[in-house]
Amino acid sequence: MILLVVAAGYAVLNLLVQSIGVYVDLPKRDPVTIHEARIEQLKGLLPPSGEVGYVTTVENDRIFAAERAFRNVEYLAQYVLTQYTLAPLIVRNSPDLPLVVGNFLDGPPPPGFLAKHRLEPLRDFGEGLVLFRREAGR
Amino acid sequence: MSLFFGASLLIALITGLLLTWILVPPERGQTAGLPLRLFVGGGLGIGVTSCSYFLCLLTGLTRYVAAVDLFICLGLGGVWLWRRGKRRIGNGAFPPAALPPADRRAGITGMGDRQAPGNLPFRRPARRGSPFATPVALVFPIALAAFLISFLIAFLKEPHGRWDAWLIWNMHARFLFRGGELWREAFASGLDWSHWDYPLLLPLSIARGWAYAGGEGVLSPAAMGFAFTCLILGLLCGSLALLRGRTPGFLAAMVLMGTPFFITMGASQFADIPFAFFVLAAFVMLFGAGRSPGNAAGPLVLAGLAAGLGAWTKNEGLLFALIVTLSTAGLAWHSGGWREALRRTGWFLAGALPVLLLVLYFKLRLAPTNDIMAGVGLAAISAKLLDWGRYAEIARAFFFTGISFTQGVIDVREGMRFNPGAVSILLLVAYLFIGGIRIDPKERGLFFQAATVLALTLTGYFIIYVLTPLDLHWHLVTSLNRLFLQLWPSAVFLVFMAAAVPGEDPPEGRPAPAPPAAIRPPAKGKSKRPRS
Repeated sequence: MILLVVAAGYAVLNLLVQSIGVYVDLPKRDPVTIHEARIEQLKGLLPPSGEVGYVTTVENDRIFAAERAFRNVEYLAQYVLTQYTLAPLIVRNSPDLPLVVGNFLDGPPPPGFLAKHRLEPLRDFGEGLVLFRREAGR
Repeated sequence: MSLFFGASLLIALITGLLLTWILVPPERGQTAGLPLRLFVGGGLGIGVTSCSYFLCLLTGLTRYVAAVDLFICLGLGGVWLWRRGKRRIGNGAFPPAALPPADRRAGITGMGDRQAPGNLPFRRPARRGSPFATPVALVFPIALAAFLISFLIAFLKEPHGRWDAWLIWNMHARFLFRGGELWREAFASGLDWSHWDYPLLLPLSIARGWAYAGGEGVLSPAAMGFAFTCLILGLLCGSLALLRGRTPGFLAAMVLMGTPFFITMGASQFADIPFAFFVLAAFVMLFGAGRSPGNAAGPLVLAGLAAGLGAWTKNEGLLFALIVTLSTAGLAWHSGGWREALRRTGWFLAGALPVLLLVLYFKLRLAPTNDIMAGVGLAAISAKLLDWGRYAEIARAFFFTGISFTQGVIDVREGMRFNPGAVSILLLVAYLFIGGIRIDPKERGLFFQAATVLALTLTGYFIIYVLTPLDLHWHLVTSLNRLFLQLWPSAVFLVFMAAAVPGEDPPEGRPAPAPPAAIRPPAKGKSKRPRS
């Protein structure tokens, strides 16, 4: 029983010490709240329901592939948090919709990507957030 | 806003508390089981009110959810008063007077009984005589305070929770709450990555809190994470305190508080912690039924309700509910034949079925196909079943994760490494090895049942990994540690139910090592019951 008390007590206190270390370095706002504040700027220009598209620094099919390969979870996290913020509006992982959210936190899209999908900037909110309109087919 | 949110939790608590009072009525004036009732009732109440909110969504009555909840509360209160009155009229004869007095007095109600014969199934160990009782009782509040501070800091670090919270659970809650009349559309949205086939207990409970508060905030999901974390701790401590004594109760809770992954997952707002609560609640109620042979119906209904709510929390709950139902039937058949098996399984299903029907409706009418089940063909299944390399990889992951999962979130790029830390299954094995095992002969069947349920659940998980269409390595490193955590509180409960406690009375049928110690009643310490 002494073994149990010592081990459990050590574990609890060790966790407390680690937590206090985390608390000291805690930023004022957490990453999710910061990302939400960025994306919420879009709300006034988007319909409350329906669908919008999504583009980012890499091509759409690489967002999930990078996460599955444990190479990069950021692209997926940014996409998911965009959906999380804009719900119940559905954010499709596709550039082929009339309105498309551009989230370029990690850099610009691949060269020619926007032109290939006929995406015209509707409004640039800064910090890599752009709302695009897709031109009708020629 | 937070006042109304608090009201939503209070109504859930009262609902659950009333259910325990109706199904397991206390003897008059007995309060020993109150902490256990609060913790069991709190969790079950959140589960039941999530069901009522789902019905409100289906019928378009979400605006009146508070009135519906109040109506349910009043209805349950009426039933409780009616049954209480009946018992008074019948001179307190509940369960029926035909039962032997010992059976009437036994149960999870926690009452001492000086007139009961020595073979009274419900036994509280003597608190006197354990040399560790005072030190443990002194260390426990310090550990609890440290645990609460760590939890608070984990919440401040990530108030929206971790990955799965905003990818699945809180996301679903937002769609349900913000979707208005179009809330069903999310399930057909094709956003498969958010797993819309996952059951709704947690998202509904969060959305219900927002409905009460009249708006969103990080409070509701975080409060759910905190509530279920504390409910598990309280249930573990309260049930063991009642069934084995305070010292094992405190020790078990300390083991859980010393599990870093438990705090991480609680603060992460994942559904694994609520699911772990319902698994533990089912086990506790099964033991309660085992100790109340004359009034097993109530605890069995509550065990069934807990198992059903587990299936309403996570898909793994369906497997758990199936296994625990079959094991309940099997144990009853072994001890009392088919009639007993039908009777006990019937009581269990009386609690589980209403919720399972809701789960069935959800799965058939709303949920898309599960990603693990989607596109699974016979050829693919047989190929995987015959791939021995998969078995080896899964077995290796089970071994390393089983020993190391308690230590927190893993780096998915590295996978699980051997890291038992201070608290792990090895510590519990060492505790049993050093302290010894002391299982009441009357509870051996229950132990066998509980251990079988845990083993079969893990076996089920193993088979799912064998068959998974997802990348096996990715699937293992992103989920296996959470699956182990779901069963961890129940495993700790079983270990402390089995472990010998210094100063404890031996089980019946064994020679007493010390002069007879009085079984002290839990609260007031006045009445004494002779030991066998």
